[in-house]
Amino acid sequence: MDQGPDLRRAAADEHLELERTWSSPCGLIGWFSHVNHRSIGRRFIVTAFVFFLLGGIQALLMRLQLASPESGLIDPDTYRQLFTMHGTTMMFFFAVPVMEGFAMYLVPLMIGSRDMAFPRMNAFGYYVYLIAGVVLYGAFFLGMAPDAGWFAYVPLAGKTFEPGLRMDFWATMVTFIEVSALVAAVELIVTILKQRAVGMTFTRMPLFVWAVLVMAFMILFAMPPLMIGSVMLALDRTVGTHFFNPAAGGDVVLWQHVFWFFGHPEVYIIFIPALGMVSSIVITFARRPIFGYKALVLSLVATGFIGFGLWVHHMFATGLPYLGMSFFTAASMLIAIPSGVQIFCWIATLWDGRLVFRTPLLFVLGFLVIFVAGGVTGVMIASVPFDLQVHDTFFIVAHFHYVLIGGAVFPLFGGVYYWFPKITGRMLSERLGQWNFWTMAVGFNVTFFPMHQLGLEGMPRRVYTYVDGLGWDNLNLLATVGALILTLSVLIFLVNVAISLRSGAEASADPWAADSLEWATGSPPPSYNFHPLPVVRGRYPRWEKAEGPPVVVIGLRGDRREVLVTQTMEATPDYRSVLPGPSFAPLWLALAATVAFLGVVYDVRLVPVGGLLSFAALAWWHWPREHERTPPWKAGTAS
Amino acid sequence: MNGTAAIDVSHLPNLVSGGRAPLWWAMVLLLAIEGTVFATLVVSYFYLRMVAPAWPPPGVEPPELLLPTINTIVLLASSVPMYIADRGITKGRSRRLLVGLGIAVALAIVFLVLKVVEYSGVSYRWDDHAYGSIVWTIIGFHSAHVMSLVLKSLVVGTLAWRGYFDGRRHLGVQINGLYWHFVVAVWVPLYAVLYWAPRLLD
Repeated sequence: MDQGPDLRRAAADEHLELERTWSSPCGLIGWFSHVNHRSIGRRFIVTAFVFFLLGGIQALLMRLQLASPESGLIDPDTYRQLFTMHGTTMMFFFAVPVMEGFAMYLVPLMIGSRDMAFPRMNAFGYYVYLIAGVVLYGAFFLGMAPDAGWFAYVPLAGKTFEPGLRMDFWATMVTFIEVSALVAAVELIVTILKQRAVGMTFTRMPLFVWAVLVMAFMILFAMPPLMIGSVMLALDRTVGTHFFNPAAGGDVVLWQHVFWFFGHPEVYIIFIPALGMVSSIVITFARRPIFGYKALVLSLVATGFIGFGLWVHHMFATGLPYLGMSFFTAASMLIAIPSGVQIFCWIATLWDGRLVFRTPLLFVLGFLVIFVAGGVTGVMIASVPFDLQVHDTFFIVAHFHYVLIGGAVFPLFGGVYYWFPKITGRMLSERLGQWNFWTMAVGFNVTFFPMHQLGLEGMPRRVYTYVDGLGWDNLNLLATVGALILTLSVLIFLVNVAISLRSGAEASADPWAADSLEWATGSPPPSYNFHPLPVVRGRYPRWEKAEGPPVVVIGLRGDRREVLVTQTMEATPDYRSVLPGPSFAPLWLALAATVAFLGVVYDVRLVPVGGLLSFAALAWWHWPREHERTPPWKAGTAS
Repeated sequence: MNGTAAIDVSHLPNLVSGGRAPLWWAMVLLLAIEGTVFATLVVSYFYLRMVAPAWPPPGVEPPELLLPTINTIVLLASSVPMYIADRGITKGRSRRLLVGLGIAVALAIVFLVLKVVEYSGVSYRWDDHAYGSIVWTIIGFHSAHVMSLVLKSLVVGTLAWRGYFDGRRHLGVQINGLYWHFVVAVWVPLYAVLYWAPRLLD
């Protein structure tokens, strides 16, 4: 189309103004004031991968110790710290934050918005996460890491058997990071409900966004019980309450109930966003719309509900009433149904698609195979007699690594290969990607498949060594070899990322010819994401040829951070929300809250001090800024 | 732009309240979190009661009823001025807002003072037995919430004093009121559990 030079210049000026308004400050000090969803999302992802490497090194050390019987490489105390930190790191500091990071980065792009609803809360959540991780690892490197396992069963985690500060660090930092997850959950739900593009009704929402919505609601109801549990643990340890002390009327199984009421949904909190990634990748690389969109959405929601009814299957060995156990066996088998529906929907989509075998799709195929294997052992241990037989053995270790690595880490790596061009503007190497996938698939199975057999032969988990002559030597050695192959795979991934960041091929806006809105803007996107804002008329906005001219949204102001809020159900324009710009308030609030939490570990008198400091930080945070103080209808001169 | 239809949103408002505002939704979700927190405490109370041979433990009298019942009425009453304050500013009456906030905060402070009086008189501490642990924890949690109501409302009151709120801009008052009514309402089941359950459910 032939536009006059004036029109073109006006359009360029608009983009310049938006860039000035939305860009984040530079420099080290400016870094602490970022609030943009892509900036914070990237931080979550990068930090989570650092913790992934740390947790991976811990796992490798444990495997080296177990490579031969009665090895003296690692002493029992260090070994206990290693498996506790490995579990805590991977569950709390890697898996949940990395999924939140991708959700924060992608959801506003997928729903065609300029930012999330509460940008400063995002930043606050990140600082809380970072501080919790740094404090816990600080304790680790000082030799004070928690060592009662990642689920911290009492009485082992109580003061009698853990007199030092180790479990105090665990209880407070786990509570702290839950705050981070809860903040992210509220933020994601509100953004998805209120800031979808015009025309994006719920039935047109990308499956990844659906998955994030279900994950966020699960966080909302799963994390508070654990917070109460870890507060009780901290109170027992610091001020002498008796929640878990049977001698004074308490009960140890209460801890297991509150922990697993969180702990089982936690598995799905990690796994459900990964399913969303799988759907995105399957659609793009099968080059067709998904088969059974509604069935997939309903399965996600059903999984979210049933996930709350399974927690007791972690506690079959505690001697609960038989009727109760039968109920939880039934519920545990029930969850196989929505999982099966989803698997078949993806298979049907792939069956009919014109498959493009690039790295992201390979990881999805790996996911399908490994996750189904993990699901099969899941159905096995849902049965009480079988579970009692393999309880606390390596069979359980094998099972949950198949489900968690197969179910979440494989899709995650697929997702990294898929969205890396969007986030960085560079492609990852396809050849290294294929090496990455095959070494990971082989390494994973060589590591964890033998553990099924070891578990059936009775090898207990969480014991730092085993005696010679039990027939466990070869399989253990094999598992360690597998761990080395897995390590190689992660190294290939790191090399791939490093090369790509230095000299990778530049990515176009839409290198995969994909269907959803994040590909409708630059790679990486401009700081304001979209201009003009997209209007959605179907489930696959980039693939559908709608009748009539394309429609866009205009009229948001460029001189301040305005986002369009739409009506919850109909997704029609409703109002223009003004977002805050860069701010240091989130950092101050996070630091003030840290004072309160460290008070639990060191000196209870610091708790009210931290509480009041947090109040002061919040009051400053919410205090209206200069431009907000005089409303436009009073000022007269304002627009 | 050529060949493109455009929806112009520049006439849409910048200030809304209620379910149209993202902040209102965020507060509702926060209340869902808080509700789960209190529900977990109540479930823990009944769990500990279930495993205990006697509840309250031997030597501990069931809690007295008169003072806490009066105090519950005080707290419930505080929701009325808060509601009037909220309705008032919706119609642009900033005086009504200030007076309502003031009375509500005063009632909340009375509640806190009476709680201190009540619990300085009980015969057990949190480190005596599990019953003491759960009762003190629930009271502590809820009182901390009432304290945060007071602090939050003082900030809202300061802004109101400076004329920040009016008939169009009153979302902050609404959100504060929502949280206030929640903390008041959640006290009702807590009151029933702490003061009536030990007497009625034996």
